[in-house]
Amino acid sequence: MRLRLAAVVVAALAGLALLVATGAVVSTLVVEHAEAQQSDAARKRELRKQKKAGPEIRPEFRDVAAQPAVPPAAAPGGPTQSQQDAGKPGREKVEADVSTRSIKVTSGFTGTEIIVFGSVDNSRQPSAEAGYYDVAVVIEGDALPLVARKKSNVAGLWVNTYAARFESVPSYYAIASTRPIEEIAEASILEQNAIGLDYVRLSPTAKSAIETPPPDLKAFKEAVVRIKQKEGLYIKEDYAVAFIGRSLFRSSIALPANVPVGPLSARVYLFREGELLSSFATRVRLEREGVELWLYQFAITQPALYGVFAVVVAVGAGLLASAGFRRGPA
Amino acid sequence: MYIYLPIAEMPANVLLFLAMGSAVGFLSGLFGVGGGFLLTPLMIFWGIPPTVAVGTGSAQIVASSVSGAIAQYRRKNVDIKMGVVLLIGGIGGSVIGVQMVKILRQAGHFDLFIALAYVTFLGTIGTLMLIESLNTMQKARGGRYLSARRPGQHNWIHGLPLKMRFHRSKLYISAIPPIMIGSFVGFLAALMGAGGGFIMVPAMIYLLRVPTNVVVGTSLFQIVFVTAATTILHAVQNHSVDVVLALLLIVSGVISAQYGAAVGSKLKGEQLRFWLAALVLLVCMRIAWDLIATPPELYSISRIGGAF
Repeated sequence: MRLRLAAVVVAALAGLALLVATGAVVSTLVVEHAEAQQSDAARKRELRKQKKAGPEIRPEFRDVAAQPAVPPAAAPGGPTQSQQDAGKPGREKVEADVSTRSIKVTSGFTGTEIIVFGSVDNSRQPSAEAGYYDVAVVIEGDALPLVARKKSNVAGLWVNTYAARFESVPSYYAIASTRPIEEIAEASILEQNAIGLDYVRLSPTAKSAIETPPPDLKAFKEAVVRIKQKEGLYIKEDYAVAFIGRSLFRSSIALPANVPVGPLSARVYLFREGELLSSFATRVRLEREGVELWLYQFAITQPALYGVFAVVVAVGAGLLASAGFRRGPA
Repeated sequence: MYIYLPIAEMPANVLLFLAMGSAVGFLSGLFGVGGGFLLTPLMIFWGIPPTVAVGTGSAQIVASSVSGAIAQYRRKNVDIKMGVVLLIGGIGGSVIGVQMVKILRQAGHFDLFIALAYVTFLGTIGTLMLIESLNTMQKARGGRYLSARRPGQHNWIHGLPLKMRFHRSKLYISAIPPIMIGSFVGFLAALMGAGGGFIMVPAMIYLLRVPTNVVVGTSLFQIVFVTAATTILHAVQNHSVDVVLALLLIVSGVISAQYGAAVGSKLKGEQLRFWLAALVLLVCMRIAWDLIATPPELYSISRIGGAF
């Protein structure tokens, strides 16, 4: 008897709690929705403005406005907030992983595919097709120093006349998203989190930053992205992330064979109506294995011996072929 | 079929690079040139990073020259004494050349300089060789036999001290011109990522008046050692020698170099020179075109630490 009473009380309490929780969720949802609609409208206006402004004005516009002003203004809206929100009950949280955490580069390596999959905790999406959330997946390679040069015509010859040095440029950068990333969130959020090819973190050296006029530096940055894209090392896939269920999503990203070997970082961002809800980061190891590893280590750790080895191999092959021809046509 | 190159960090089409190696190897055996001036641009054209192309190219030249040199040696076409004298200059020039590469690379003008050097030397040598070989062929057709070597003729070279007798070349000349030629070629070879045979061969023919049959073997002999030194230097300085890529090029290159040498010994000297001149001019024009034509992409990027 007492036991049953206790059970009823517990059930009632639980029901009440559930009710309160749902109410809270619904109310926040409504508020969020209204806010999101506002920001959505604002974003669309912004987009239209940008479109009207035309591509020729865009570089300068971004350079002046976006660079110094945006990071402090966008700071409260960044990952800090999403972390705070993640602590609250009922808020969405994204968790993800990659299909292979360690990719082996062997002599047969011709590129591969990284499958990033994850799920949205507390998903409020009614179905996989609802398009309630937007997910962006970014895979980035090692940041390496790089120099970009520009040719000009000097007395009829095309000569490298200008250069900008970068302290760090991701060797590889792939962005996949549920729809074009520019439609998902505002430029400030994308820039803050380095999401999208327009916002890859290319940090010039202090010297280049001082010596190169901002419009020129912008042009150099665009050239770096353009060339990397042509090399297949910078990739943008607009509809490459798909939800397979209410909360489960999946994306496959191509890792071309010419990707520089080194650690990769994978980041997953969850958006709704332009707001960054949650993010998740993991790492992928890209390593040489077998003969590739042995030769590479040999070349790096004992370069002189490796050089001699290369000469011996060359001479040996030369002599062998020559000896083989002693009874041949010669 | 693809194989991953450990240093170039990219997969290579095995058949493509085998074909490239045998084409260059054949020409190398035929003309007695290392083939670097063909191989290096070809590798870059097919996506090998320029630094790796230069470093690996030198290893390939070692192999193709060693088999060519042995083939020539068996035909008694190598003047060892002349080769050693050229080599002494060559190593010295190569060391200076590598330093020069460093300075130019830091200034960001290495690729311009390399292109200008190629155009200047290939253009000059190709044109001179073409004119000379055409003249010789015309005279030969006219019924007059004319040797490339005119023994009775003396020039300023014969007035220099330190005279040495080069038996196989049938020469009695000062050691200074061969050393100077050797060091100049070594210097340019290190700068241009080639063996330097395309400069060495005409320099020996026209400046030293070494008989054509000995020129090819002797220049190959010299090239083997200069490129071996260059390979080690590239491995140490840039980590840019890809053994896997080199092996692909060597396997095909050394075999076809033997055929090239066999064909070359059947051809007349002036015919050989005519075709080499045509080839040299073709490569020259290709490089010159890149300097003059408006590039589709004005910008270029390169890793800091690597060449070019």
